[in-house]
Amino acid sequence: MADALLNPLSLTLSVQTSEAFAAPAMSLADRASRALESGVWGAVMYIVIGLVAVLTAVSVLGLVMSYIERKVAGHFQCRLGPMRVGPHGVLQSLADGIKLLFKEGIEPGDGDKVIFIGAPIFSITATILLLAIVPLAPGIQVVDMNVGVVYIAAVSGLGVMGILMGGWSSNNKWSLLGAMRAGAQMISYEVSLTIALLVVVLFSGTLKVSEIIESQQQGWWIWRGHGVAIVAFCLYVIASTAELNRTPFDLPEGESELTGGYHTEYSGLRFSFFFLAEFANLFVFSALAVTFFFGGWLPFHVGNYEGFNSVMDLLPPVISPIFWFGSKCATLIFILMWFRWTFPRLRMDQLMRLEWKVLLPIGFANLILAATVVLSGLYFFPSAT
Amino acid sequence: MATTTPVPTETECPPIDFGELKSNCVAPRPSIMGQKRGLRSILWLSFKGIVRGLLTTLSYFRRPSTVVTQQYPENRDTLEMFERYRGRLSLIHNEEGEHGCTACQICERLCPNASIIITKDKKNEATGKPALDQFIWRQDTCTFCNICVLVCPFDTLEMTGDFESSVFDRRLLVFNLNEYAGPTAGQLDKLEDDELAKAQMKPMNKYQGPVPMCGGEMDGIPKLDVEKPTDA
Ligand code: SF4
Ligand code: SF4
Repeated sequence: MADALLNPLSLTLSVQTSEAFAAPAMSLADRASRALESGVWGAVMYIVIGLVAVLTAVSVLGLVMSYIERKVAGHFQCRLGPMRVGPHGVLQSLADGIKLLFKEGIEPGDGDKVIFIGAPIFSITATILLLAIVPLAPGIQVVDMNVGVVYIAAVSGLGVMGILMGGWSSNNKWSLLGAMRAGAQMISYEVSLTIALLVVVLFSGTLKVSEIIESQQQGWWIWRGHGVAIVAFCLYVIASTAELNRTPFDLPEGESELTGGYHTEYSGLRFSFFFLAEFANLFVFSALAVTFFFGGWLPFHVGNYEGFNSVMDLLPPVISPIFWFGSKCATLIFILMWFRWTFPRLRMDQLMRLEWKVLLPIGFANLILAATVVLSGLYFFPSAT
Repeated sequence: MATTTPVPTETECPPIDFGELKSNCVAPRPSIMGQKRGLRSILWLSFKGIVRGLLTTLSYFRRPSTVVTQQYPENRDTLEMFERYRGRLSLIHNEEGEHGCTACQICERLCPNASIIITKDKKNEATGKPALDQFIWRQDTCTFCNICVLVCPFDTLEMTGDFESSVFDRRLLVFNLNEYAGPTAGQLDKLEDDELAKAQMKPMNKYQGPVPMCGGEMDGIPKLDVEKPTDA
């Protein structure tokens, strides 16, 4: 850990080495490293399979989440949400997807064509890259590099490029304003997001995502790290809401003042790329919160209380990660949706003030406090790590 | 700490009367902005506000009974429209089928879209007063502004909740609203001779009641089954 903090360069370089893919069990990542080492074709095969899997995940997530979002939003607002296509509207997002496929992709005449076409692709690529590092179950993770947290911080900031490109190339003042807002907002909140994640890095002493999960065998960081971890989690939730451009931080697309913000000029499949990226990101950020604060796929454990732990382990090994990861993730997604459909939108200056004058100082103070807590071993079950 | 503004008394701020709706004065909510407050008070108020908002939406979410959406085509038989909904205009008729319109034409003159055309009998043979001949209402140009209902000195117009008015030809949206051509209920009551009064209420032609003026006589449109016996 100390090495990691002191010499990040050596870490980045060591991604290339086989040591980077070493995992305790024969995991997917293990197999990946074998494939990569076995030659060019193995690597290509692995990349293709991984891409297909992640792309499928993005589209399925987009379909399912948009349906759930609309249903939840409806009930939060005394409405029903989609009801017509299929029983209780379950096929609604499928119908919408087919509709979007057949729509004409209009390009603004005076816009910058190349960037305009590239923007949604850029946006969804960032999502795919981010989804690749989300650990869904033991070993089910496309890449598990030893600088996972750095990678997350880097790639999650990439999405804003797609939005900036889209807003710029549309040659439309609303799009441009939305994109500029998005740029300012996402880059600002990125800082808080990373600082919140660093707290968990301090606790677990590793940057590797799978090891962060392993370090929570004794209990999830959210309660083992008591106050510090809870503050970090709150920061993370606020910052990720801003990062996802969801209300109360949805200024980039604030429809009441900017029509559609950065995607005003987009239609058809290109619009659906932005749309898919948005919903897949919602899942990714919730999954990362689960990974960092709620022990990923691990069941609820309390230190060395064998009796309690074995009750929690009752589920068979195949179902257990699905149940624990799924339920934690669903709860977090629900909370983010709950926020979205409750709070009014902030003003731009309020948004900036919140980040730079409130969240950032709190984040730094919290980070220093976390370091103190870690060094003095004041968190629960310090012997475990 | 928070200083709450006192609720104004009735004399300071009398309730405003909007007919069926009354608006009472309420004390303005203590605002976080623009008041000198300690940081702790601001934080506490913000926190309370956030939690209250979240609980409100959660309570809607938890109870499906709060859903206000109407599943319209399915619940068509049981659908109840809201009292103040403005659908088809209707001329009120009492139980005896008598209307109260004196054909004063105030509504016709005040309608901003000239959607009302009233023809009248200058001097009714029985009462000697002007009587309504046809109350023609053009739904195709009406904006449902409700002015006609408000200005009628005899309160004889009303907006009904009937909103299903889609047709394939806009000419079908010109309606005759009165059931019979003749004097008002009040004038009929004053007549000594009951037979004479009955004779005044004889149907004049097939366009009676809320009947499209073009009912049933157009190409490609099935005959409307609202035809009533003529007495020509
Ligand atoms: S509602 Fe308004 S527009 Fe319609 S008939 Fe009455 S006055 Fe005219
Ligand atoms: S409906 Fe009322 S305002 Fe209009 S002509 Fe009849 S009595 Fe006069």
